[in-house]
Amino acid sequence: MIGALVLVIMVALSATALFGLVTTAMNRPPGPVHRVAVGICTALVVVQAAVAAYQVLVGGVTLPEQTTFLIYLVVAICVPPIALQFATAEPTRWGGAVIAVGTIGTLVAVLRLQGLWVPGA
Amino acid sequence: MRATATGPGRILIAVYGIFALSASARAGVQIAERFDEAPLAYALSAVAGFVYILATVGLAGSGPGFRRLAWFAVSFELLGVLLVGAFTAFVPGDFPHDTVWSWFGRGYGFIPLVLPFVGIWWLRRTGRSG
Repeated sequence: MIGALVLVIMVALSATALFGLVTTAMNRPPGPVHRVAVGICTALVVVQAAVAAYQVLVGGVTLPEQTTFLIYLVVAICVPPIALQFATAEPTRWGGAVIAVGTIGTLVAVLRLQGLWVPGA
Repeated sequence: MRATATGPGRILIAVYGIFALSASARAGVQIAERFDEAPLAYALSAVAGFVYILATVGLAGSGPGFRRLAWFAVSFELLGVLLVGAFTAFVPGDFPHDTVWSWFGRGYGFIPLVLPFVGIWWLRRTGRSG
């Protein structure tokens, strides 16, 4: 886990969630900006997951709840793209809110990951 | 009758989907790694995860079969969160390991308590004919 990257991820996820809610409020269906935003979020989460998984599986970092940690890593990667897919499948104003739910869920997962990251404990 | 998987219903399905994923994953880890510590709590975790999966599928599908499934899952969920919530709140000590429904879902921002009410409201609203 990289502290600065976690911060960037949290900002990206929050901004995407906020943007989704704004487009819902403005009665606009999800568009290219949503796709790019979710793409950026997913890419950042993938980088973080790769670094953290390397540290745990190869780098010898031991965590008290290693399995839970690794599962949260996978969940955090999967949720935003699935939410985007589900949001764009029915292009109505509600798509943005669906993306917001997905990114907020991912934000919670990232916070849990942060809490579970206690190397050597 | 209106399909449950349209309009704002899709937000509800997204929330249920995330709970299905996280509750099942959590239960899976609990059962695989330390089931002996609290068999009842962890079995209940698995039941909760499964009920969230059923609710997600029921709400996302269309037709009377899926609607019945959604009704069953959401009612079970309401009963579960109220019973487990009351038990953990008023009988302290007997339920050492947290589940999604412990303390009315406090560990999950009380969303598990609110969710079944929203689900029932949405099923009733979309279930009206004409």
